[in-house]
Amino acid sequence: MIKGLEDTIIKLRHFWHSNMRLVSYYWERTHRNRLATCGLAFIVFLVLLALIGPFLTLDPTEVNFEEKNLPPVGFTVEQSVYNIETGEFITKKVAGTWKHPLGTDSKGRDMLAMIVSGARVSLFVGLIATGIAIILGTIIGVLSAYFGGWVDNVMMRFTDIMMTFPFFLLLVLIVFIFGPSLIFIILAIGLTGWTGTARMVRSESLSLRTREFVLAARALGASDNRVVFRHLIPNVISLIIVIATLSIPGVILAEAALSFIGLGDPTVPSWGIILEAGQHSLDTAWWVAVEPGIMLFLTVLAFNFLGDGLRDAFDPKSQI
Amino acid sequence: MRKSWLRDYIIRRLFYSIIIAWGILTVTFILVRVGPSSPADRYLANLAASGQDVTQVIAAIEARYGVDRPIWEQYTDYMTNLFRGNWGWSFSTSMPVIELIKKHWIYSFQLILLSSLFAAFLGILIGIYSAVKQYTKADYTFTFLSFIGISIPNFWLGVMLILIFSVKLGLFKTYYDTTLPLFSIENLKALVLPVITLGTGMLAAYVRYTRSAMLDNLRKVFVTTARAKGLPERIVIGKHVFRNALLPLVTIILFDLGSIVFGGAYLTEIVFGIPGLGQISFKAIFANDYPVVVAVTLIGTLVVLLVNLVTDIIYTYLDPRIRYD
Repeated sequence: MIKGLEDTIIKLRHFWHSNMRLVSYYWERTHRNRLATCGLAFIVFLVLLALIGPFLTLDPTEVNFEEKNLPPVGFTVEQSVYNIETGEFITKKVAGTWKHPLGTDSKGRDMLAMIVSGARVSLFVGLIATGIAIILGTIIGVLSAYFGGWVDNVMMRFTDIMMTFPFFLLLVLIVFIFGPSLIFIILAIGLTGWTGTARMVRSESLSLRTREFVLAARALGASDNRVVFRHLIPNVISLIIVIATLSIPGVILAEAALSFIGLGDPTVPSWGIILEAGQHSLDTAWWVAVEPGIMLFLTVLAFNFLGDGLRDAFDPKSQI
Repeated sequence: MRKSWLRDYIIRRLFYSIIIAWGILTVTFILVRVGPSSPADRYLANLAASGQDVTQVIAAIEARYGVDRPIWEQYTDYMTNLFRGNWGWSFSTSMPVIELIKKHWIYSFQLILLSSLFAAFLGILIGIYSAVKQYTKADYTFTFLSFIGISIPNFWLGVMLILIFSVKLGLFKTYYDTTLPLFSIENLKALVLPVITLGTGMLAAYVRYTRSAMLDNLRKVFVTTARAKGLPERIVIGKHVFRNALLPLVTIILFDLGSIVFGGAYLTEIVFGIPGLGQISFKAIFANDYPVVVAVTLIGTLVVLLVNLVTDIIYTYLDPRIRYD
């Protein structure tokens, strides 16, 4: 009993050490890439912002028409204001205040608070939908490669159909039909976005399948389950990490684009929804369209830098 | 004789493409028809205001458009008609779908064509330059810029271009003017911002593809041989390296066309109000005008399938060693 426990602990420790060694090796190689490090730093900042930011900012839903269309700090704009006493429009200069560092929108909501809670939505969508897509894609890819034959044929033909489907049109259709709620948006993106992963994981597993260690495992009588989960999947993990990092920006953009064309969840203030509103007030409040876009852009850029760095670290020859 | 296998291959691929197109057509049809809204929806407000019996009128409208029948019957009818070349009737615009498409396809086509040309031309030039000057300041700058170009959300770029060049500087109109004649300077000017919006992402991607394809070949032995023969660098790069880099490049560019263009063109058309196929299908989805939605999806799919097939064929001519068996 005690002996068994000790064995397990030793095994676990060994597992931890060998993996930590790998992790630190890859971290070292990724870290050398300055852009990837910057990307990672921004992502960490964004996660912190999404986790604790909403407790520090004002209420993003609080409407205040007294303070509408305030510019960000450091900017001054001219606004025409209706004067009730004289019944005329007068132009007055309005300057940004520190109460609303990023200004306010046409309903007087605080932009900083909206951007911060938008970060929560975007990251949530990006991580969950990518997770669904990656898990689906990996399972389909590995099974397809491992079993071959008609399983491979059916799965790959289905992947072909999904790949040919105009992706964005399909998303618009699904979200329109099932209604614009965040859950359906996430599911729609996740359930349609797995095709690329499936293809890449399949071709990687195909070459792994014929390697000696898989052959050895099978010769020793390992079950299909064991070969797939202990030998194939661990060996495609690095590929999966890279694909995941590089697909998160696409997912975040897809949600933002859906929101932008009016198919976003109206109950959550995502960056796309703020951007959509800002698009209609370009001449009165340009910052409403500019700010969420900059965040969106920086987020996508950060994930692209990190994904690129990780790919170079894991496999300098790869071309994905 | 040499290409006899190619003919068989093309026939097989065409057959296969038809099956894929049919699958997509069916899925789209079902998705649209199980949707919550009905073609009668847009009359509801008027009906309610005029105090008529709403349910009766809705039933009449649905019978008029044939959407009250079982979905299976609608599907078989639609497919038979489509097969005979009848694309159906768009009830939200009150004209045959084929007429609607004939009227609007050119707007999408000109946008996509100009953007692709802009992106491919500049992208390949910059990519070659970047590869030849690898690890110089210019190379780093272009690589960095291409990252930015890939990461910038294209609909936001469109809004920013409108903000800067239309709202603040007043150089362009804030929307696409449909009254302009198609082949005119004014129309070209109206397309400048949309083309930049759609083209920037592609441009950045092409810079990266070209650069890496060029670098792959620059280190090959035949390049050293060409240089050793004393060929001028211009010929070495242009004839020996670029010719070989072109092969993977053509494939990637054509395959990309499908994904980048259909997502991007859709949004670009909506941002600038260009009345192309993306715009009409977008409106049709909200009006539950299923013949239009299905038709536009079908056209998109067919274009992608055709482009993929053409890519494979071009490939065999560019590289005679390739066989698809």
